[in-house]
Order: sequence, then C-alpha cells, then structure tokens
Amino acid sequence: MTESSQPNVLLVEEIRRGKPEAWDQLIAQYEGRLLAFVDSRLRRRAASEDVVQETFIGFLTSLPNYDPQRSLESWLFSIAAHKLTDYLRREGRRPAIPLSTGEKSSGNWELAGGARQASSIARSGERHKMEDGAIAEGIAEQIEKWKSAGDWQKIQCMELLFVLGWPNKQVAEELELSEQQVANFKYDFLERLRRIVRSQRLNQDVFPELYS
Amino acid sequence: MATSYTDSELSAYLDEDLPQDRMSEVENALRNDQSLVDRLTAIVGQRDAGLHTLGAIWRRERLSCPDREQLGSFLLGILDDSQADYIRFHLSTIGCRVCNASLEDLRTQHAAAEDVAATESRRRKYFQSSAGYLSSNG
Repeated sequence: MTESSQPNVLLVEEIRRGKPEAWDQLIAQYEGRLLAFVDSRLRRRAASEDVVQETFIGFLTSLPNYDPQRSLESWLFSIAAHKLTDYLRREGRRPAIPLSTGEKSSGNWELAGGARQASSIARSGERHKMEDGAIAEGIAEQIEKWKSAGDWQKIQCMELLFVLGWPNKQVAEELELSEQQVANFKYDFLERLRRIVRSQRLNQDVFPELYS
Repeated sequence: MATSYTDSELSAYLDEDLPQDRMSEVENALRNDQSLVDRLTAIVGQRDAGLHTLGAIWRRERLSCPDREQLGSFLLGILDDSQADYIRFHLSTIGCRVCNASLEDLRTQHAAAEDVAATESRRRKYFQSSAGYLSSNG
C-alpha cells in the first residue's frame, strides 16, 4: 500500500456526500504530484494544468465506480494517465493502436490448452478484478516479507524481471548475482503465486507467465 | 541499431507508465516500425482476452512503491542506506513515473516551504533590528 488508506476512505465518503471542504482537501493533497506527472510529458504548464483539471473532473464522474479499498492515489494517477493519453492522441503525438485484436495478431494470445479463441473466454470484469486482486495480494505479502527481512535485492530482482521484463542474464549482471541465483529467486516467487492460483481455484490459463 | 523494448515495457507504454523519455522513444519508433505496432496490438489483444501479466498488476497496484512519507524521508536523506538504495533503484532503474512525479512535487513543496521560512526569517530580522527605532521616531 502506498498511502495511509483510512483517512482517504473518510475523505472519499465526504466527497460522495458533496462536501466542498473535502473536495478542496483532495485537490490540495494530490494536485502537485499529478501536475508533476503530466508536465513531465507535456512540458507545457498550461496544457498540463488542463489535463489535471480533466483528471479531477474524471474522478468525480467516475466516483460511483471507485472502490475505496483501492489506493486513491493509484486511482487518480490512472485517470491522469488516461486523460494524458487522450490529450496526446488529440495532438497527434501518440500514434493510435488498434483497440481490438485483428486476425493478424491473434495467434500470439490464444490460450494454451485448446483451440479456444481468447475472445470466447472473455470473462466478467468482476472475475478479472478478483484474479488481479488475489495475485496482487500475494505479491504484496511477499514484498512485505522481503522488506521486513531487509531483503531488498529480491524485490529488485523481481521488479527487473517482471516490471521491466528483463531476461535473467541481464538481471544477474545488474544486481551482481549469478544467473542461477536469479533463476532460483524467480522460481520461488512464481511457485508462491502458483500456490495462490491453486488454493483460490483461479483459472491458470489467464496467468501465462506462471506456467510458461 | 533499433532500440529493443520488452513486452513489459510495451505494456507499460499502453498505460502511459514508462519514464517520459522512454515514452517518447516508443512513440517515435511506432511511426516507422510496423513490427512494433503488431506487438502492441498483440498485447492489447491479450488484455482483451482477459490475460494477466505480473508486471501490469505490479505497476497498477504500485506494489513496491515507497509511500509519500518514505519519499519525503528519502528527500531529506534520513533513511537507512539499504532503504535509500532501494528507492534510488526504484526511481532510476525502474523509472517509476508516479514516484518520480511525487518526489518532484515534494521537492517543489520543500523549496516553497524554505522560501516561506527564509522570508519570515528575513522579515523578523528586519523587524527586530529596526523596531527599537519606532518610539524615537514617533
């Protein structure tokens, strides 16, 4: 968790009740970091402020969908990222990517274990969220254990492997580990997540990295 | 030689979550590299299909991001070495956009607070050094 969530739950509750002081407080709390995020890309203060303004409006209009258990900061930044993407597209700076898969690329993402087309197993948003949440919780617990033990190198190792997608060899060089050590850390980490998938009876086909 | 991008980076690009320089690089590369467009399209397809990636979950939920207080302590240089080293790694090597933005905001706030403190201190000095003349001038 990246912030103290309880005060924010109360803050959001007040905003839901239409309290202007609470809304003012949220803006004061987050506008600076959102502006820094947007302006790092646009480098034009006035345009960046417009995007942050759209972000706050977007937050209010999406409030019915906001789950207070989720980090408020992450939610705000995800809205800012969407608004920024829209802005860059309108400006023609960000090339449009097809939003649905064409036949050309479909071969890359068909699920293993049968001829099922991925679209045929498109599942409800709730299910997807539940899978996502279970794995996120598992990773968060593991990170917390590593932090408590001062084992920062394992966090770095997993972050390079999965967040940046580096191969084992590059990770080993970066962290001055052997490739075997990286492979062992990775195996233990993935095995822990596979146990979560098994114990919660999640569909293993939707986590290709765990079974590759 | 063309720069290479991992699938995790391309996924982060879709979420506007790469460091800003890297975002611009990918944008430029996409204009001339159809294979890169195809790879991105495939990643969008995987998402449409409901597949998860650990990196996307990690980034979205900000699972290893330091909290605001820790970033503030990092800025003040009062964290222990191992924690400070990790935050430096997270900011520089991973290039976490959100944490870098948050740190930038904290820097701005600290600078503004220092300005206010310096201004108050200056005014107090002017006042204290001159107030004694008030009565004799009156």
